[in-house]
Amino acid sequence: MANERAPKAEAVWERRDLLTGCQAVAEAVRLADVDVIAAYPIRPYTEVMDAISKLIADGQLDAEYVIADSEHSQFEIVKHASSVNARTFAGSSGTGWCYGLEALVVTATDRLPVLYLVGNRALDDPGAFGVEHNDAMMVRDVGFLLCWVTTPQEALEHVLIGYRVAEDKGVQMPMAIAMDGAFLTHSQHMVDIPSLGTVRRYLRRYDLSKRRMHPDNPISIAPQVNEDWVMELRRQNWEAARSARTVIKEAYREFNGVFGDRYTNPFFTEFMTEDAETILIGLGTVAAPGRTAVTRLRAIGEKVGYVSMRWFRPFPTEELRACLGRFRSIGVIDRDFAHGSPDDGGILMEEVRSTLYPLDNRPVVVDFIAGLGGRDISISDCMAMFRLTQQAASQAGMDGFVKWIGLRE
Amino acid sequence: MIRRVEINYRGVFQKRLAKKIGGDVVRIASQMGKVGFSNGRYSDAPERSGIPSKYFAFVSSDLSEEELEAECGAELDIDQADVSIVLDDTLVKGVEPWAWSGIRPINENLRDGGTLVVVTRRTHEDLLKHIPGKPRGWRLATYEGSQSFSGMWVFRDDFTHERTLGAIAAAAPDVMTIEAVEACLNNRHPNDPTRAEAARRAFDEVVEKMKTVVVGTGVESKEAAIVLPKWFEFGEGTVVAAVPRGFEMRPSGQSRNQQYKRGTTRSQRPIIRFDLCTKCALCWLECPDESFDPVPDGLYDVNYTYCVGCGKCAQVCPVQECIVMIDELEFDDESSPWETFSKDRHAYVTWAEDKKSLGRLIHSYVPGSADPQTVKGERIPPKHG
Ligand code: SF4
Ligand code: SF4
Repeated sequence: MANERAPKAEAVWERRDLLTGCQAVAEAVRLADVDVIAAYPIRPYTEVMDAISKLIADGQLDAEYVIADSEHSQFEIVKHASSVNARTFAGSSGTGWCYGLEALVVTATDRLPVLYLVGNRALDDPGAFGVEHNDAMMVRDVGFLLCWVTTPQEALEHVLIGYRVAEDKGVQMPMAIAMDGAFLTHSQHMVDIPSLGTVRRYLRRYDLSKRRMHPDNPISIAPQVNEDWVMELRRQNWEAARSARTVIKEAYREFNGVFGDRYTNPFFTEFMTEDAETILIGLGTVAAPGRTAVTRLRAIGEKVGYVSMRWFRPFPTEELRACLGRFRSIGVIDRDFAHGSPDDGGILMEEVRSTLYPLDNRPVVVDFIAGLGGRDISISDCMAMFRLTQQAASQAGMDGFVKWIGLRE
Repeated sequence: MIRRVEINYRGVFQKRLAKKIGGDVVRIASQMGKVGFSNGRYSDAPERSGIPSKYFAFVSSDLSEEELEAECGAELDIDQADVSIVLDDTLVKGVEPWAWSGIRPINENLRDGGTLVVVTRRTHEDLLKHIPGKPRGWRLATYEGSQSFSGMWVFRDDFTHERTLGAIAAAAPDVMTIEAVEACLNNRHPNDPTRAEAARRAFDEVVEKMKTVVVGTGVESKEAAIVLPKWFEFGEGTVVAAVPRGFEMRPSGQSRNQQYKRGTTRSQRPIIRFDLCTKCALCWLECPDESFDPVPDGLYDVNYTYCVGCGKCAQVCPVQECIVMIDELEFDDESSPWETFSKDRHAYVTWAEDKKSLGRLIHSYVPGSADPQTVKGERIPPKHG
C-alpha cells in the first residue's frame, strides 16, 4: 500500500525549451552535476563553453570552470581532475582536437572516463569550419568510446548515457560525443529537459575506487613501463572496449526504464529496413535527408531503408553484421575521407565492408564521399545515392566503388 | 506546408536580436501546435562587425520535425523565403557575407509573392531605388524604427524584438498569429503589457504599409551570379596570388585584394570636406581597412568599395566637420569623392553639406547603452583656395 507521506513521484521531464545542440549538451552537463570543466575556444565547440559558463553564472551549476591556454592543457586538466574522482567535461573541434591529441591518448591509456564534445569541423588549412568527421576519427583506435548524435534531444540524453557507460567499473574509458558542426551544434530545436531527480535515479556517482588519487589513497599513475608491460596493458584496454559493448546495452536498458522507452537499439537506428533490398548507412545529421529520401522512394514502391550509426567505438560488430547481411546492396555515406586507403574510400565504408567480410553472401558495398567541409547533403543527393546503390547491385553496376557527391567537377 | 522566415541582420551588432527573433518564431509556432526549428547561416560566422548575416526560422504544420530538418536544415542557405526581415535598412543595397565572393540582392531569396519587411524611417519609394526587380510579384512592407545596434554580449532591449515578431505575424499569419505573439509576450512578462502592445502596433503598421511590388519595378541588379571553380581549376594547397606590389598616387592607386570588397558591411559612409583638410594623414594611417588613397595634391581620397563604415577616420580627424559619417542609403555610387571635388570644388562642398544637413546617426560609445542620436551639423562654408 502506498505510504501517504511518500513524496509524489517526480515527473520525468521538467520542461521543454528551444536549445541548440551545444546548449542541450550544456543542460546535460548541469544535470550530470559535472565537477570540473576545462575549456578552450574553437568553433563550433565554443558554443558549449558559452552555454556552460552562463549556467554557472546563473547559479544553476556549481563547477570548477577552467579556461586553459590551449587544447593540450585543457585535456590535461580534465585528465588530472578525473583521476582525483571529479566528473569532468571538455571538448573541441577540428585541428583543436588534433592539437590536444597527446593528452587525449594518455587519458585513454590512464583509463580515465572524461567526457568530451567534438563539434565536428573540417581540418584546416585552409580556414574552414564546416562539418567533417575526420577530427573525431583521430581517436578511433586509441581506446576511446565514440558515438555520433543526430538531434539536440539525443545529444542531451547521450551525455547522461555517456557518463553511465564511461564511468562503469568494467569500462572506465574516455568518451567522445561527436556532433555535426552547424547542422546540430548551432541549430535550435525544442528539447525535453528531464528533472534533476530523474537524472539522479539514472546516473550513479562517479567512483574510481582504488584508482582514485587522494591523500588517503596514495597512488602513482602511469610510471614508465617498457616492453615488459605494454602488451599486457593493451590487452586490458581491449578488455574494456569489449566489455563496453555489454555495458552500453545495460545503460540503454536502464535509460529506457527511467526515462520511458526511448531506444530500441543502442548502437544504430534502422528505418524502414524490414523488407529493404537497398539501404544507405551514415553517421550524424545526414540521417534526416537520408530517411526523408527513404519515405519518398517507399511511396513509389522502392524497397529501400536507412541505417543511422550511433556508436562507432566500440564498433557493434555482431549487431551490424546481422543487420546489414540481410540487404542486397549497401551505400555508405562518409562525411570523412581516408586518402590512399583501400579503394580510396572513406573510414566508415572500410569498417562496414570488413564487418561484412566473414559472411558467405556478402551484400554489394559502395561508398559516397559527401558533405565534406560542411557542404550540404540534400534529400535529392540521398535519392541519387539510393539510385547508384541500387544500380551497383544490378547488371549495370556502378563504375568503381567510390563516388564523390556534390563535388564541382 | 513549410514556412520560411529569413532575418537579415548586421553581424555582431544585431546578432543577439536576430537569434532571439528566430528562436521566438519557433517557440510561438510550437505553442500553436506546429513544429519548427531555427538556425543561422553558419558561414557568416565568426562574425565581423556589420557584415550582412542571416538567421532563419522554419515552421510546418504537417511535416515531422525530421522532414522539416531534411528540407530546410540540411542546406546552408534558402531560396524560398516567405518573409524576409531586414533589421537595418541599409542592407537593401545588397548583401555580401564574410568570405563569400559576391554581392547578392536583398530580395533574391524571396519566393514569388513573399514579403520583404524593412525596419526603416524611409518610404517604399526610397527603398525601391536600391532593391532589384524580380521576375514575379513580391510584397514590400515597412515598420518604423532605427537600427537596433548593440554588441557581441549585450542586447538592446528597445522592443525591436517584440515589434519584429508582430511584423512577421502580419506578413505571414500562417507562421504565427498576432494573438499567439501577444499571448507569448504577456506570458513571459506578466506585469508588462507594453511588449505585446508594441508587437500589435508593428503588426498594424505592417498590415497598413504592405504593398505589392509589380514586375518591372526596382533597379537592375549589377552583380552577376557567383560561379565557383571546379576542383581542378585552382591551385593545390589553396595558394592564392598575392596583392600586386606597389602603389600610385591617385584614386584607387593602392593595390587591394580584389576578392575582399567589404562595402556591404557599411551602414554609414565618411564624407570628406577636402577643402578643410590639413593633410595630417591621420585618416590614412588609422583606417583599419586601408581604404584611403594618397593623391598628388597631398589629400587622401577614400575608396568606398573597401570602406566598411567603421567611423574611425571621422573620430581621428582633428578638423571639425571635415570627416562626417552619413547614412549609406543617401548614396548610390562608390566613385572617388576626390575626383568629384577636383572637378568642381564648390559643387562638391555644396553637395557634401547637403548630405550632412540630412542628419547623421551618432551611436553611443558603449554599444546598446543608449539610443542613437540624430545630430545636425553646422553648415560650414567652403574654405578659400
Ligand atoms: S569609415 Fe573611415 S576608417 Fe572606417 S573603413 Fe571607412 S574609411 Fe576606413
Ligand atoms: S584626418 Fe582629416 S585633416 Fe587629417 S588628412 Fe584625414 S581628412 Fe585631412
